[in-house]
Amino acid sequence: MAQVDLENVSRTYSDHVDVHALRSVTLSLEPGSFVAVAGPSGSGKTTLLNIIGGLDRPDQGVVRIANLNLTSTPPDQLADFRLRHIGFVFQAYNLFPVLTAMENLEFIPALQGMPKAERLRRAETLLEMVGLAEIRDKRPNEMSGGQQQRVAVVRAIMTEPEIVLADEPTANLDSASASVLLDMMAELNRQKGITFLFSTHDPLVMERARRLIRLKDGAVVSDENRDPEPAKAAR
Amino acid sequence: MLISASGYAALPDAHELVTKTDLALRGKTQQGKASMTVRTPDWERTLEMEYWSVNPEKTFILITAPAKEAGTSTLRIGSNMWNYLPKVERVIKIPPSLMLQPWMGSDFTNDDLVKESSLVNDYTHEIVGEVVEGGDACYQVLATPKPDAPVVWGKLVLAIRKSDYLPRKEEFYDEKGELRKVLTYEDIRKAGGRNCPMRWKMVSVTKPGHETVLVYSDLKFDLKIPDRIFTQRNMKRPF
Amino acid sequence: MLFLSMAWRNVWRNRRRSLLTIVAIALGLAFNIFMRAIGDGFHEQMVDNSVRSHIGHLQIHGGGYHDDPGLNKTLPSPDQVQRAIERLPGVRGYSMRVLGDGLASTAENSAGVAIVGIDPQQERTVTTIDHGVVKGEYLKPGQARPILIGDRLAINLKADLEDKVVLMVQAADGSMGADLFRVVGIFRSGSPELDRGMVFLLRHDAQTLFSLDGRITEAVVLLHSSLQVPTAQEVLKAALTKQNVEVLTWYEVEPFLLQFIELDDAFFYIIVVFFFVVISIGILNTIMMSVFERVREFGVMMALGTKPRQIIKLVVEEAFVLGMTGVVIGCSIGVAATLYYASHGMNLSAWGEGAAALGMTSTVVYTKLTAANLLISDSSVLAVVMLVGLYPAIYASRLRPVEAIRHV
Repeated sequence: MAQVDLENVSRTYSDHVDVHALRSVTLSLEPGSFVAVAGPSGSGKTTLLNIIGGLDRPDQGVVRIANLNLTSTPPDQLADFRLRHIGFVFQAYNLFPVLTAMENLEFIPALQGMPKAERLRRAETLLEMVGLAEIRDKRPNEMSGGQQQRVAVVRAIMTEPEIVLADEPTANLDSASASVLLDMMAELNRQKGITFLFSTHDPLVMERARRLIRLKDGAVVSDENRDPEPAKAAR
Repeated sequence: MLISASGYAALPDAHELVTKTDLALRGKTQQGKASMTVRTPDWERTLEMEYWSVNPEKTFILITAPAKEAGTSTLRIGSNMWNYLPKVERVIKIPPSLMLQPWMGSDFTNDDLVKESSLVNDYTHEIVGEVVEGGDACYQVLATPKPDAPVVWGKLVLAIRKSDYLPRKEEFYDEKGELRKVLTYEDIRKAGGRNCPMRWKMVSVTKPGHETVLVYSDLKFDLKIPDRIFTQRNMKRPF
Repeated sequence: MLFLSMAWRNVWRNRRRSLLTIVAIALGLAFNIFMRAIGDGFHEQMVDNSVRSHIGHLQIHGGGYHDDPGLNKTLPSPDQVQRAIERLPGVRGYSMRVLGDGLASTAENSAGVAIVGIDPQQERTVTTIDHGVVKGEYLKPGQARPILIGDRLAINLKADLEDKVVLMVQAADGSMGADLFRVVGIFRSGSPELDRGMVFLLRHDAQTLFSLDGRITEAVVLLHSSLQVPTAQEVLKAALTKQNVEVLTWYEVEPFLLQFIELDDAFFYIIVVFFFVVISIGILNTIMMSVFERVREFGVMMALGTKPRQIIKLVVEEAFVLGMTGVVIGCSIGVAATLYYASHGMNLSAWGEGAAALGMTSTVVYTKLTAANLLISDSSVLAVVMLVGLYPAIYASRLRPVEAIRHV
């Protein structure tokens, strides 16, 4: 359960021209938040997520998660930090094609050194919890898009991270599957108190968030709290 | 006032000189006796022999002592050579491949016997200086093989006595220019009507401790020697 | 274990490409193993022929004999030498010989020869000259001055069975030795040197001819295994330190043989290196392509927290899978082919004449496999494959997650 703080975070990409992906962004996420980041493409959503997740380093400013200063952490330790504290869900191609659902779930805990028995137990429990037990031995190419994304979310929370970062997770799904996915994320957020931060430009998705941050041209233009009470931890 | 011969700078022609040397040493024909002593680090042996030669073509040598070798003879005609071994009563031809083997175990090879007079015909000569050898003033002559001459040496260096053209010393160098053996002609005195060295000593340079000494006696020169001497039948004659 | 499963399954994502690579590795390895076995078999036969035709595994002479042979460099104490040999483990046979050279003549011709005086029964425990007799018979003790000559010498001298041959030599005391010998047998060893230039006498006849008085020139020893040669040399040297003798191995006596083998091996290694280079290019291409196809996946892996060195491990494991599979298949094929020809022999009569020059008596080669060579071939192929995989592995580990994830 951790607080996420950004202070004056800026990130500029220099290609042929300077692209100011983020300009002096300051915000805080309470533990257990369920937040959507919205904005047109190029507004800096992905960059924001990458920086919070430790995949990218800001040119200015500080990122802190649970009082750990991410910006001053060396890359090797960042990888370790991501392993234990951050969950990622991407728009597509999340799962490893050669592994089954169960094995995909085992991947991160195996990297952490969790014993096999415990990995299996956790994975089975979680799959049960989200109603995906019957696809445990299926490979990604044997699942629907929606199922793949849901397994990806389960994988993201296998190690009980502080925060799950999802970059446009519903972009490739139809509205029914998107809805199911969001329900699952909301339920997990409620039950386990894990912060969910997802980027989107789908209004239906935005509606489901309890807090909505809008970005434009790298700056925060609005930050609404829909639900004054963040979810309680249920660990 | 007499001006000594050596005061005149004119040197004799080298080839002429060597021709005279050969004639002085060997004559047209020669016969006599010799005692050959061979010394090596492991043993020493002396053979007694009689010999006849018609220069430069034919040579016949008969070993007369000791008993083990007595009756052994060597016949050379041109570049062919045969040995007769009384023990097995056989005449053996020496193959070309063995011409460089020692003759009767000495420091003279079969080839040396065959090439007695090749010095004159197979080499070109040049007087390269003067030395004193054995107390005698000598010309130093360099003999270089002619291009296609069938000789085994790279060069020969001779010391030839100015007074009577007798050789005092002959040095044998191989094709790489290394000195292999040295022949000295000693004890020059009158025998058979002329001056000749009565003692020849061949010393090996490459094999230390190896030397052969030939001591001559009863020399006769330029007598007519019958042809039948130089036959295989003669080799087998009862001794 | 999960990683290894992933590595295995990753290899089979592109079945055809992986199979092609594996087949290339397998065939290359099989070829490697088989050629090595032919080479080793050939070399062993060469050595064996030479050793068993005349030179034996070890030779003992008076000090300095090998560099400068001489009749007077005989063994100072043949009895001691004989005892030292008898106490040596692993001895298959030995022979005490008298050696010298001289002129062999018949009425027709003369030739220089190497003369070997032997005890016939002793000699056959070391060499196979007795098997080589093609006309007449081998020497027998008690015969009156018999001589055994090579077939080419017989032709040169125009000598046949029962003919008399004169041997003229310079004896040990400087005198001329000569005697008549009766041709009892004609041999063909296959080695031009022996067939043209070597004659065998009964040892006591040779001693008489050379005025050697019971002395012995050489003791030649045959062991059960050529692998024992270096040790045996040390043991004999130690046993005979007080004597002025030299103890030589077959490769010191005839360095040409060993040099030829080493040269041949060198050529082989050049071919092997060439083969490795070619194979490596193919493997590199295969693994590199499979990495390019998975850039996005590696990006996700690293985003999830996989460390670069774990990525390296994964890709190298994939190389291992390719390599190991290829090695297992290639090794089986190579060993099978080698074992077949080890018992059936391979007929190389097309290269017959060259073989004779190298002292081979037959043109059938039996392949020889050693566990050591097999292990070396297998592990070097595997090592090369994994080494080649290291480059794409490092490339993958250096991908930047943010860009890799966006890769199409």
